[in-house]
Amino acid sequence: MFVNTSENFTGMTQGFGLDQAVAEAERCLLCHDAPCSKACPADTDPGTFIRKLRLKNVTGAIRTIKENNILGGACGVLCPAARLCEKECCATGIGRPVEIAKIQRFLVEHSWERNFKVFEPAAPNGKSVAVVGSGPAGLSCAAELAKQGCQVTIFEARPEAGGVIRYGVPSYRYDVNFLDHELREIKELGVEIRCNAPIRGAGEAENLLQKGYAAVFVATGLWDAARLNPEVSNVDGLMTSVEYLASLRDEQFEILRNKLKGSTVAVIGGGSVAIDCAESAAKLGAEDVYLVYRRSFVQMPAEEVERIEALAAGVHFLLLNQPVDFVINHHRKIMGLRLVRTRLDAAVGSGRRMPKEIPGSEWVLNADIVIEAIGNQAESGSQNWYPNVAVDRNRLIQADAETRQTSVAGIFAGGDIVRGPALVVDAVNDGKVAAKAILEQLSQQEA
Amino acid sequence: MAGKKVDLSVDFCVIKFENPFLLSSSPVSNSAEMVAKAFEAGWSGVAYKTLNSDRVRIVHPSPRMNPYHYGSKRLVGLQNVEQISDRSLKDNLLDFLYLKKNYPDKIIISSIMGFSNEEWAYLAKASEDNGADMLELNFSCPHMTIEGSGHKVGQANHLIEKFTETVKKAVSIPVLAKMTPNITDMTEPALFAKQGGADAIAAINTVRGISQIGLDDWTARPKVAGIGAISGTSGPAVKPIGLRFIADLAKCEQLGLPLSGQGGIETWIDALEYLLLGSTTVQVTTGIIHYGYRIVEEMIEGLSDYMVERDIERVADLIGKALPTLQDTDKFDLESQGVASYDLDRCVGCGQCLIVCNDSAGQALEWDSQLRRPRLIEDKCLSCMVCSFVCPVSGLISYKPQPSDWQRRETAVMGEQLEAELKLAAFK
Ligand SMILES: Cc1cc2nc3c(=O)[nH]c(=O)nc-3n(C[C@H](O)[C@H](O)[C@H](O)COP(=O)(O)OP(=O)(O)OC[C@H]3O[C@@H](n4cnc5c(N)ncnc54)[C@H](O)[C@@H]3O)c2cc1C
Ligand SMILES: Cc1cc2nc3c(=O)[nH]c(=O)nc-3n(C[C@H](O)[C@H](O)[C@H](O)COP(=O)(O)O)c2cc1C
Ligand code: SF4
Repeated sequence: MFVNTSENFTGMTQGFGLDQAVAEAERCLLCHDAPCSKACPADTDPGTFIRKLRLKNVTGAIRTIKENNILGGACGVLCPAARLCEKECCATGIGRPVEIAKIQRFLVEHSWERNFKVFEPAAPNGKSVAVVGSGPAGLSCAAELAKQGCQVTIFEARPEAGGVIRYGVPSYRYDVNFLDHELREIKELGVEIRCNAPIRGAGEAENLLQKGYAAVFVATGLWDAARLNPEVSNVDGLMTSVEYLASLRDEQFEILRNKLKGSTVAVIGGGSVAIDCAESAAKLGAEDVYLVYRRSFVQMPAEEVERIEALAAGVHFLLLNQPVDFVINHHRKIMGLRLVRTRLDAAVGSGRRMPKEIPGSEWVLNADIVIEAIGNQAESGSQNWYPNVAVDRNRLIQADAETRQTSVAGIFAGGDIVRGPALVVDAVNDGKVAAKAILEQLSQQEA
Repeated sequence: MAGKKVDLSVDFCVIKFENPFLLSSSPVSNSAEMVAKAFEAGWSGVAYKTLNSDRVRIVHPSPRMNPYHYGSKRLVGLQNVEQISDRSLKDNLLDFLYLKKNYPDKIIISSIMGFSNEEWAYLAKASEDNGADMLELNFSCPHMTIEGSGHKVGQANHLIEKFTETVKKAVSIPVLAKMTPNITDMTEPALFAKQGGADAIAAINTVRGISQIGLDDWTARPKVAGIGAISGTSGPAVKPIGLRFIADLAKCEQLGLPLSGQGGIETWIDALEYLLLGSTTVQVTTGIIHYGYRIVEEMIEGLSDYMVERDIERVADLIGKALPTLQDTDKFDLESQGVASYDLDRCVGCGQCLIVCNDSAGQALEWDSQLRRPRLIEDKCLSCMVCSFVCPVSGLISYKPQPSDWQRRETAVMGEQLEAELKLAAFK
């Protein structure tokens, strides 16, 4: 396995130890009808696992997390908890919210430390289900089905499993070793993960139904980057967030790092992905990293803590600037970005304030590397993998909110390919919802 | 792990309980409406709130409790002056019938308290006739406002024997005697209860105490219309006392009765400690007053996981397992000595160890004020381990045995130069 190491590109910050977790759990008010539990998109049930920890039932606390959320560790690290469970915490009324996500992460790490296993492989029920994509949605659905005895095969296009949490999120935020622990638990349930196994042929995803799989769950995520100008290609130093972040995680890492050292980087975008690109470039030794965004600080879609952390990591926020074109030299090497300054119009209704270009304010930001992080989309042509499945004009699959069933019987879908850019915890929930519907369907077929 | 199942059921006085966890007699077991919720939550039985015979009207003082908080920790203890049930006997017995009908597998222990032979017999019979599976004789309420009741009986051995015998004659269901801890030696009254025919012993009831004095009104809490009182303390603060009495009873070979332990149980660990010292069932009040009936879920799951991890199939295999090593202090091997051992890599530099070693122990620590780290002078260490009690990093300071030829340095004598002034003759 490839592991990247660099002094600047440190691993995840340490989580809570037992003493800290217990002390934090002591602050929990053990609410009746715990509002934190209601606020978790995947029903991880923090109200219960914190109460169990508080009453010294540590194994039960771990079990609660893992039974409800097979990626409970990943969520403990990656969830923007301040606007999910922790936002509803009643302890805020007497001070500050309980740090729920950190307690969750601790409990999962603690289970590894004491080698406590929640699951045992279930007795086979004779049903096979195919899952396309091994991101959080696919993993969650597969685990849920395997727990009920289904033989689940995940088809994954990339060399390793995990989706965005392997090939997107930088390692200082989420460690591959951490992911491998959770993956191992999923494999121990009997889930087979076939890597380097894309389902990309015409109708191939639907054809799985003819190949002996009783149902198919499509969770392929969003792996095309939106482009400022799709015509521009093969430019040295110009890359998309998808290409850039994936390189941080594979054999390209050393090459990329050498390129970044001492360079000037411009990242276009204001979302979480843009922040990951900019902050990682700064951590990897870029001299100057500009985050170019056409609105202002408060309009940025990235979480507030992420924005502040990026500032602290040395990223320059170049706000109220709209990129209009790339500056490319005759060797097809990027030289910079042509920008025009903007001001914000008054908001219309509840919408965000719109940027308005200021005429005559064009200028050039010199940059050795430009990373486009203006949004991820469903892969172009992805609808051909499942031609009968209804998709919207952004190629997002249309799936029922209650069951995640698509327009084709037996084909289910969830995660980002249905929701558009969302969260790990949303993907986990989609996997659970779809698994439940698939199991219901299978038992109906039997009856 | 998830697949393995353990059996939490216990046999107690030939009655099968689905698990060892019972409500004890108190407000948490005051009515069928409440007890039904507890049964749903997973409790295997109830020692129902002590019945009265309607001979005198029972009125609870108001307010009737006071919490004992410690820093940010709430309810490490609880003070109460509650009386026995203020409901009519009829209402309570109707509730027995309801519970027995709706929860036939759960066990109802009827707690009773009388003032005369006749009253004890009357309550016992009424309980048996209306579905009680067992009786618990309350010899132990420390604050009844009526003379001749409660712990006063618990301190009068002949009354214990007499009342137990009366009850045993009146009914055929098993009888527990619930003992007061407000005595020096519990085995003595327990033996009288046995003499009277008791089938098991329950202990402890609340410990007489005072949790708080109001600093403005100089009155103990709870304050009932201007008056305070010494009253019953329960909760985690009394667990060491409860464990001690259970161990005493379990160790008493002459007694040889099954035990129902209580006092400060909140978690499966507390319950397990009572089991390991010889209780077959455990009872809970204050833990429920603090957290609700739901704590039994954590007791069941926590104890089950513990048993699975250790490959223990039945609760019976745990009962009394800590008794063989529980000896009188004169059995200690004083040759065996040790010192504290510091894992300084994890030290955060607070220096609390230094303060306590200086002010309560062996003067065995030096302080590097540059590094902010303690340094142990091993041969001054008393191995009292108080430093580890205050260290905020769990496990940083541990106990390390020393070889048998190891010598501890004598405590420094500050008056060495003053021998001429010493007035002392050897003791003969
Ligand atoms: C840079 C970045 C940072 C993020 N940070 C956070 C965060 O901090 N917290 C948070 O909650 N969320 C975060 N998100 C969002 C979160 O990662 C996604 O919502 C989540 O991963 C969606 O899961 P998914 O399973 O739907 O898709 P993905 O994670 O995208 O997984 C899809 C998988 O399908 C595979 N695949 C695609 N096509 C095929 C095919 N044809 N055949 C076989 N396999 C295929 C892909 O290789 C991939 O492994 C972040 C997203 C990005 C891009
Ligand atoms: C408010 C209150 C009322 C109680 N009433 C009774 C009672 O009526 N009969 C009885 O036998 N014990 C009574 N007890 C004692 C409890 O049953 C129990 O023995 C004691 O509280 C110790 O257990 P704990 O620490 O779990 O509370 C009462 C305790 C409390 C706190
Ligand atoms: S707990 Fe219930 S009965 Fe007791 S004081 Fe509060 S509201 Fe009243």
